[in-house]
Amino acid sequence: MSGIGIQPTTLGTLGGQASQPAVSPTPDTPDSRYPLLLFEQVSKWYGSVLALNQVTLSLTGGITGLVGANGAGKSTLLRMANGQLRPTLGRVSVRGIDTWDWRARRLVGYCPDIDAFYEDLSGRRFVWVMARLCGYTRSESTRRTEAVLERVGMRDRADRKLRGYSKGMRQRVKLAQALLHDPELLILDEPLSGIDPIGRQELLDVFQSLAAQGKCLLISSHELEALEKLTNHVAIMARGRIAAVGTLPQIRELLDDHPLSVRIDVDRPRELARLLLAVPEVLSVDIGKAPEPVGLVVKARHPKQFFQAFSRLVVEHQLEVRRLEPLDESVHDILGYLLGGSGKT
Amino acid sequence: MHESNPASTHSRQPTNNDQPTTTPRVLTAFWVLVVQSFQRHWHVKQMGWVSIGLLTLVVVSVAIVTARGRWGLPERPVRRDLSHRQVADQNLLPGRYDVRRYDPAGQPPGVATITPHEIPSPFDPLKDGIQNLILSIPQAVMRSPKFLDDWAFMNFSRWVILGAYFGFVLPMFTLAYASAAFGTERESRSLVWVMTRPIPRSAIYAAKFLGTLPWCVLFGLGGFVVLCLAGGDFGLRAMKLYWPAAVGGTVAFSAMFHLIGAIFKRPVVVGLVYVFFYEALVAALPGSLKLLSLTFYARSLMYNAATTAGYPTNLLDLSQPETTETAWIVLVTATTALTITGMWMFSLLEYRDDV
Repeated sequence: MSGIGIQPTTLGTLGGQASQPAVSPTPDTPDSRYPLLLFEQVSKWYGSVLALNQVTLSLTGGITGLVGANGAGKSTLLRMANGQLRPTLGRVSVRGIDTWDWRARRLVGYCPDIDAFYEDLSGRRFVWVMARLCGYTRSESTRRTEAVLERVGMRDRADRKLRGYSKGMRQRVKLAQALLHDPELLILDEPLSGIDPIGRQELLDVFQSLAAQGKCLLISSHELEALEKLTNHVAIMARGRIAAVGTLPQIRELLDDHPLSVRIDVDRPRELARLLLAVPEVLSVDIGKAPEPVGLVVKARHPKQFFQAFSRLVVEHQLEVRRLEPLDESVHDILGYLLGGSGKT
Repeated sequence: MHESNPASTHSRQPTNNDQPTTTPRVLTAFWVLVVQSFQRHWHVKQMGWVSIGLLTLVVVSVAIVTARGRWGLPERPVRRDLSHRQVADQNLLPGRYDVRRYDPAGQPPGVATITPHEIPSPFDPLKDGIQNLILSIPQAVMRSPKFLDDWAFMNFSRWVILGAYFGFVLPMFTLAYASAAFGTERESRSLVWVMTRPIPRSAIYAAKFLGTLPWCVLFGLGGFVVLCLAGGDFGLRAMKLYWPAAVGGTVAFSAMFHLIGAIFKRPVVVGLVYVFFYEALVAALPGSLKLLSLTFYARSLMYNAATTAGYPTNLLDLSQPETTETAWIVLVTATTALTITGMWMFSLLEYRDDV
């Protein structure tokens, strides 16, 4: 991935490198001047296998999608963020508190990807026990349990045993327990897995509302289309490294050397195709098939130069452009470029 | 012990997290985890049933031996189909002089009828006299009720308490329940729910131990009581005499197997190797190596209890036992040290649910 030339970076308002105070916070007093989640040159070895390679990442709020192929290091990164694993090199902190310190877990809610519960408990009982294990009194645990069950839409369905729950219901219960202590940072590992489209939209709404409240969500998901609806701020992982982090257009811009596909609907497609083939940035032009060949699919590199040349041609030849649609700014396509494949994760 | 079910209160008006709330307390979380660990142990069924099955086999064996009165010396077999009583009877005069040789029914007519004890030793009267004198000693002993009773009790203590209980039942039960505190949750991958709570790792270890200990004591001492009851009168005496040793051994073994359960991925295998290779071998070795064995100190407690009660303890076959005070100090210190070591090691261990 180093060949792509994208440095791990933080872009946009959703994630940004915060300037760090000179004095470190104590574990009991998290310092809001520190980034909510900060990976500093973190490497992790499992024996001779390098799972994370000098990862630097800083999140301060909003929703960040974490995408990458299997084995890219996503789960390792998430488990480090909630203190299940500790880095071999570097440091991971939440508001300046080392995530290995138990006090950091007060600031983090974790929704794991595993599907293991205390199956003999009801959903309500399970969430209530998790609240008690956070250190709340019985009455406070009950209050919080009801609040989070309401939030994930499980309040009226939580009295059945967990073993009888559908996948979607189990995902909601997992999310509910992560919200119990009202954490600043939510780490969600495949939270949309197995949820039907309606339930998925409901959960996406929950995530949006949490982000609107100022929570920071780090979401790992293979559901890239759903992730795109939720956020355009992604961190892309490949082979243990953060290959890129930022909004999708920003990452697209950084991928200047890689071809861009654009669909163009125009009144004189054959003429435009001929003109475009003379542009140095254009690699190929496909004309739509009969009966009405109005569309072109153009593959070009250096997007800025290409669009400048395209605009000039449209004006000079008075072409009527009906539609201009970049085809590869989705996470799938960008991931495809970065990973050198289809982008499937 | 049972926490109230929140289901009964869920009809209350829900509130959101923005309302004023009580601050979470680590100590509350700790004790909740103790209770939760205790309750979760009800589901440790597999190894529990295996242990109960093995205990049943041992209890049935003990009950059969007890019913046949085989704990005492007289009925104890010397070799196949020959008990000590039968051997002793053969060594009495009527047995030593084969009466059939003087049976008038088998003799030719005209031979005088004589009783065996009237027969002099025709060939070596001196040897015959000395032999009778020597054989009279065990004969006298065999007719001492106290000796026979003490011997039977110590024989029971040796085979049932020292061998079956300390060597098998106690380790199996404590291994089944103590190693399961982390083992079953790790296998079911549900440990993540505890590990992601805001509780120090060392406190998680300690809370799990406290939640597990009642089960270990319940089944460890329960196995002891059941075995003793199967032993009849000897068992009841053993129960009164040896219960402190059983308690000390149970707690120390629980601490050991809890540690093994926390740090090894296959705690049952490691535990079995520890019990049947390390404890069984090292505790039986002469010299100072046995001082590294937990069983040795539990057996020392047992030995001293029997000695204090006036029983002949040579049958227990324990070389150079420690004093009661030393044994207790070592068992308590070992339990504490194992727990503290476990807390420390667990606080350094990473939790991975994908292995």
